[in-house]
Amino acid sequence: MEKREGQHTQIKTVMSSKDEILTRIRQTVRTRYDMPEIKPDFMAYGDKTARFIEVSESVGGRVVIAGKGEDINDIIRSLYPAAKTIASNIPEITAATFNPDETETPYALDGTDLAVVRGETGVAENGAVWIAQNVKEKALYFIAEYLVILLDAEKIVHNMHEAYRQIQLNDYGFGLFISGPSKTADIEQALVTGAHGAKGVTVILTSTV
Amino acid sequence: MSTQHAQEAARFIANKKQEQWHNETLWQVRRKRDRLAMDIPEWEVLREWASGIKMHTLSHLDRYLERFAANAEANGVKVHWAKDGEEHNEIVYGILKERGVKKLVKSKSMLTEECHLNPFLIRKGIDVVESDLGERILQFMDEPPSHIVMPAIHLKREEIGELFEEKLHTEKGNSDPAYLTHAARQHLRNEFLTADAAMTGANFGVADTGDIVVCTNEGNADMGTSFAPLHIVSMGMEKLVPDYQALGVFTRLLARSATGQPVTAYTSHYRKPRKGCEMHLVIVDNGRSRAMEMGDHIRTLKCIRCGACMNTCPVYRRSGGYAYTYFIPGPIGINLGMLRSAETYAGNLSACSLCCSCNNVCPVKIDLADRIYAWRQSLDPIGKADKIKKGISKGMKYLFSHPSLYRTSLKLAPLLRYMPRFLLYNNLNSWGKGRELPVFAKESFTSMWKKGKVNTHKSKRS
Ligand code: SF4
Ligand code: SF4
Repeated sequence: MEKREGQHTQIKTVMSSKDEILTRIRQTVRTRYDMPEIKPDFMAYGDKTARFIEVSESVGGRVVIAGKGEDINDIIRSLYPAAKTIASNIPEITAATFNPDETETPYALDGTDLAVVRGETGVAENGAVWIAQNVKEKALYFIAEYLVILLDAEKIVHNMHEAYRQIQLNDYGFGLFISGPSKTADIEQALVTGAHGAKGVTVILTSTV
Repeated sequence: MSTQHAQEAARFIANKKQEQWHNETLWQVRRKRDRLAMDIPEWEVLREWASGIKMHTLSHLDRYLERFAANAEANGVKVHWAKDGEEHNEIVYGILKERGVKKLVKSKSMLTEECHLNPFLIRKGIDVVESDLGERILQFMDEPPSHIVMPAIHLKREEIGELFEEKLHTEKGNSDPAYLTHAARQHLRNEFLTADAAMTGANFGVADTGDIVVCTNEGNADMGTSFAPLHIVSMGMEKLVPDYQALGVFTRLLARSATGQPVTAYTSHYRKPRKGCEMHLVIVDNGRSRAMEMGDHIRTLKCIRCGACMNTCPVYRRSGGYAYTYFIPGPIGINLGMLRSAETYAGNLSACSLCCSCNNVCPVKIDLADRIYAWRQSLDPIGKADKIKKGISKGMKYLFSHPSLYRTSLKLAPLLRYMPRFLLYNNLNSWGKGRELPVFAKESFTSMWKKGKVNTHKSKRS
């Protein structure tokens, strides 16, 4: 018995866990299945923007369409009149009270009332907005009490298939889809917003044309 | 398994009102799932693809794991491999110890539950803080989750209110869910800001890019990883998908199946460590490669842990998670338990009427009911059916009081042997009366049994 255990340890040292796992998989897999052909060319929505707005609202988010020539800062101030600390690194956001990229650590972002960030792609089917990290500390997306995402209305796609064909991560190596505010239903399935992240999310749809 | 489980099951089923609430609430979640699924005309195509992608990935897992690990490493992530739970725990502890971590904040991970990581780390002196609200509640109570997506679904608001009075000094008698949730937000925010390390599970690993994708509604995984300088990801090796195209299929299915939402509030892609920080990934086997040897049971590994099969299962809804002896309950838990140890967990096989509802909701098309049937068949000829009897927990025994739930099981010879004894203790309840007409009424069944008229030979599955 002792001998056996000794042998076992010996094998262990020769073979890393990685090799052991991979070898075992190679030995055990009997049938190799082909990748199914995936042709996700579903074009579900006649009006992608309308669907995006409808779903965003159904998940507790809010969508505001910026009118031509309307100052986004005015919209932000009117939506969040009580916000005292407003973080944004977007130069046009003059409503911002500080640039989050100038803080030393993510901890300094605690106490942010409102963060204003840019989204890259909106998804009509589920109201999600893709953001490849575009602030120094990703903490900003979650620790701010409220979040405003600026999104070009032209950048709304039908569904996640389309979104995944477009999205890219940058050098930060982090990106996420956000759909509505942080929420939980862990107490008796009663839906409560503001579990850990933003208590409210507003997407402001802008138009470049 | 433990006496705690047995006690919990007994407590749960003793409270008729709560049992009814549990049943109806989960059924509502199932209905929400139906509405969201029906909203997507291509739903069935997606399920078919999801199943196909998973079978492809699992049967080429060696290659995908290598590609995934190589990409993760190129992204600056330190990759570790754990053959089993023990090795996983040692690796995690090693990383924490080396960096002098005192407080670890965690987001929900069934894998760390599987490996019993928390008690291990706590014994080593690490302050482990669960940050998902449901998980935190259970951690305060020192109880395991009773559902994989809604861990505290078995608790009533009053119980949580009382718990928070004691632990978080909330107002006496206030059990408003919004009030309690925001009290927990305050409390956990402090934990996020003072943790030395954050740990997350992984919903998906993308082989092509090395991304680790974590889906939450609360944003707790994100809060944890945004502050602490160290992020450890614990990932079961079956979580891989080949690429973003595949990921698109799964992110469409997951939340719709799980909670009836179009997508989770946060779908986060972690590719690199934060600047100046560390990210570690522990890839865990712990019996998965062994499960791949078990013929068609390999399909069980397709699971994306959405919980839809639990929400639809009439047995789960009526009995609660603690009635099962494996830590993952419901249809998928019965199967995963068998993969873990048929000897230990065979008792859970009885918790199924073979209604096949689970098969129909599973987003990756695992034939859960067929698997359960196959397990039963495989145990009986080798004389292990007795295990089913022995392994039946208190909670499960109660279920035998519902002939309607068991009308299909009744046709199964191995189970039939023990039916009458359990039936003696119970009455047919309102669920049986209201929803489905039992095949046999209790009395006539018993009398038939007594007269030896019941056919105990194998009959065809319905
Ligand atoms: S087949 Fe069995 S496990 Fe599946 S839903 Fe029906 S009773 Fe539950
Ligand atoms: S078995 Fe299917 S339905 Fe059940 S949790 Fe896994 S993926 Fe979801």
